[in-house]
Amino acid sequence: MADEAAIHNLLKELRDILQDDFILTEETQLRPFECDGLSAYRQLPKLAVLPEDEQQVQAIIRLSHKYAVPIVTRGAGTGLSAGALPHPEGLLLVLSRMSKILEINPAAMTARVQPGVRNLAISEATGRYGLFYAPDPSSQIACSIGGNIAENAGGVHCLKYGLTVHNILQIKGFSVEGEPVTLGCGGMDNAGFNLMPLIIGSEGMLMVVTEITVRLLPIPEHVEVMLAAFDAIDTAGQAVSNIISAGVIPAGLEMMDNNAIRAAEDFAEAGYPRDAAAILLIEIDGAKSSCEEQLQKISNILNTSGCTSLKIARDDKERALFWKGRKSAFPAVGRISPDYYCMDGTIPRKSLAEVLNTISTLSEEYGFPVANVFHAGDGNLHPLILYDANIPGQLERVEEMGARVLEKCIAVGGTITGEHGVGVEKIRQMPLQFTDAELTLFHKVKAALDPQNILNPGKNIPLLKHCQEYRALSQNRVPENLISNLTPAS
Amino acid sequence: MQDSTHILQEQITDAARENAALFILGGSSKSFYGNPVLGETVTTTIHNGIVEYEPSELTVTVRGGTSLAELTRELSSHGQMLACEPPGFSDDATIGGAIAAGLSGPARPYRSSIADIVLGCRIITGEGQILEYGGKVMKNVAGYDISRLMTGSLGCLGLILEITLRVIPAPERELTFSFSVESLESAVFVNELRKKGLPVSAASSIDGTLYVRFSGGADEISGLEKTLLKSFGFVEQNVQADNTLWVEIKNHSHAFFNLESESHKNLWRLSVAPGKNVSAFYPNDSARLTEWGGAILWFKSAAEPEIIHRMASQSDAQATLFRSCVNESMRRFAPVSPALQQWYTSLKSAFDPQGIFNPGRFHDWL
Repeated sequence: MADEAAIHNLLKELRDILQDDFILTEETQLRPFECDGLSAYRQLPKLAVLPEDEQQVQAIIRLSHKYAVPIVTRGAGTGLSAGALPHPEGLLLVLSRMSKILEINPAAMTARVQPGVRNLAISEATGRYGLFYAPDPSSQIACSIGGNIAENAGGVHCLKYGLTVHNILQIKGFSVEGEPVTLGCGGMDNAGFNLMPLIIGSEGMLMVVTEITVRLLPIPEHVEVMLAAFDAIDTAGQAVSNIISAGVIPAGLEMMDNNAIRAAEDFAEAGYPRDAAAILLIEIDGAKSSCEEQLQKISNILNTSGCTSLKIARDDKERALFWKGRKSAFPAVGRISPDYYCMDGTIPRKSLAEVLNTISTLSEEYGFPVANVFHAGDGNLHPLILYDANIPGQLERVEEMGARVLEKCIAVGGTITGEHGVGVEKIRQMPLQFTDAELTLFHKVKAALDPQNILNPGKNIPLLKHCQEYRALSQNRVPENLISNLTPAS
Repeated sequence: MQDSTHILQEQITDAARENAALFILGGSSKSFYGNPVLGETVTTTIHNGIVEYEPSELTVTVRGGTSLAELTRELSSHGQMLACEPPGFSDDATIGGAIAAGLSGPARPYRSSIADIVLGCRIITGEGQILEYGGKVMKNVAGYDISRLMTGSLGCLGLILEITLRVIPAPERELTFSFSVESLESAVFVNELRKKGLPVSAASSIDGTLYVRFSGGADEISGLEKTLLKSFGFVEQNVQADNTLWVEIKNHSHAFFNLESESHKNLWRLSVAPGKNVSAFYPNDSARLTEWGGAILWFKSAAEPEIIHRMASQSDAQATLFRSCVNESMRRFAPVSPALQQWYTSLKSAFDPQGIFNPGRFHDWL
């Protein structure tokens, strides 16, 4: 465990590496870093550092390792599971200053970037070559590619283009000892242990990434967006299955329920039918001829699947408007409720009706309204539970309700998190998805790469003793603090 | 269809107790790949069959010992396929072997790699434990991604009992065109085709001729010649509607891969950024074949492995001695940095503490 003397010595040595302006130790300086996008969890670190290049990062890691001070790496702080929540005894390594696009290689269709580069900035910079970076989390204006790597971020176009893990070709960075590590090469796939997927989505617990080569794709020649309304959620769900079964993979396939539709419509005036029980937003892209072929096919399916109205965006402006409604669903819901709790379970699509029924029952039981936003194509459900954190006890009750939603996701063969990560938020539900033996292997993997538990300790993988308590409490109605042991092993 | 979980688990538990090396073997279609392993053979083909296939969910769960051909046939009967078209090298290949080898076929750059399509797995560790990771859904970020770590691990981390894969709808129609484009320029040429929205699904250069496959809807593919003429002003006459060329390339039954007349040479695979000049890797007159729009170069060479590996590393590329002319251990795989070597060995110990799985297959230290 890092004591005051260790922090003191670390600071002293850090001042030889970094200008004082980039070493933050005062509470007022640290306050903006106390949480990520999940502000229900807050914690001040001992200090925060903002390096500008690899050499500084390496030196910081070596010092932290030497003094056994925990490192939490942070990008833009838009994460939704408190994965970048600072450690009370630790150092927050903020990589936002490392925001250079180092190289764009149009022949190889790749871009080499630093971790602090914003997700959208990659597509903005590569657009002049007719190329773009596909994964597009809703926070893409702000979130950084380094954070995307840590969380294996998704987005609304995952169905066709995949998650972050499918779009990264090379990673460079440092091991916890500060040794340089390169995974992948200039080509596409390497022989040897496939370590890149292990690192991507590991929530900063296995290494620190300082350079990323992303795969770019040609900007589609043509795009069509369809807006289909349904008078029952089940019917909309069945329409999704019918489209996929017919051999069509749209670029995006999103569903919203009535609560989400109304909130989004009030906020964005996207032209959504306010009285529909559910809408589907369907985007197809490719060559013009191919889009026309797909558009016809999907229209036919929708019409025979109980769609009550179908609009096809006339132009770019209307396309953007249709998407604006969906992409602003979270802030829109934020406007109608003091707080909302965003879930991230993924389920097999066939279980959609069953899971939505459970959510609706729980909503009544707990008295919290729910708005459902759903990446329908890949089964990733985002129920937004509306509550008021200022009313004592509501946060605890909403977390309890959320846990029961996740239990249902597991019960139908799904997962507790599709794209937001485990972080601190969902660590209590990990024992529902994994046995002790499986969690033990996770701990062994962590220990293999970070034996002293320096990198983001306490996140993602719960301690086994807490798991037993959690399972013993069975329906886990009493929240157990699984992050109490946040200190690195000595 | 046969569930042999317990037989395999027992064999592994026995070996762990006796500290005896095991050689995990599927259909023996890729035994040439990697260094020879001395150990008792564990045959995975006794554990086979498709466990669950839901075409509308785009997922299939299959036992590791299932034949790749059988799986492909079943998917095809529902109009679906594995996006990366993994090579089998022979009819005996298993899906578990394909995953363990981590090799992808011609569509890799345009669709997915074999690791990309893995959604979940069930494995037996070196201590005989049966563990499950990932799942049967498209998106899953709970815990570390153990399933995709199994891809390409050559059986050194665990035995793959079961694997859940994402599948895609098979294209309605495919056509292959050939173009006279020098291999160095082929990367840019293929990119231009893709930027026109043309559905490129494979691109390979063989001795100065570039072959490009397009896959898509029936109307889209029928209109290709017109589009190519309009956008590029020319169309080559050589058009093939069948997939033979691509099957031959991925399974190495193409004439290029015949090493009989060059029995002193090794076959190398170079993973490299498309568009990079790699002419230093082969003598002027010698044959070479590129795949993936130039991201893979195949060449034959009698040079010492150390020399090729060094050259590759200087080009930010990675070389693999794919088929050796002799059956003995050598530097088939690129050397790794000291930090990575440490990671490899400690990960190996996490999964297989006694090192019973495929010792030496990658490196003599692993």
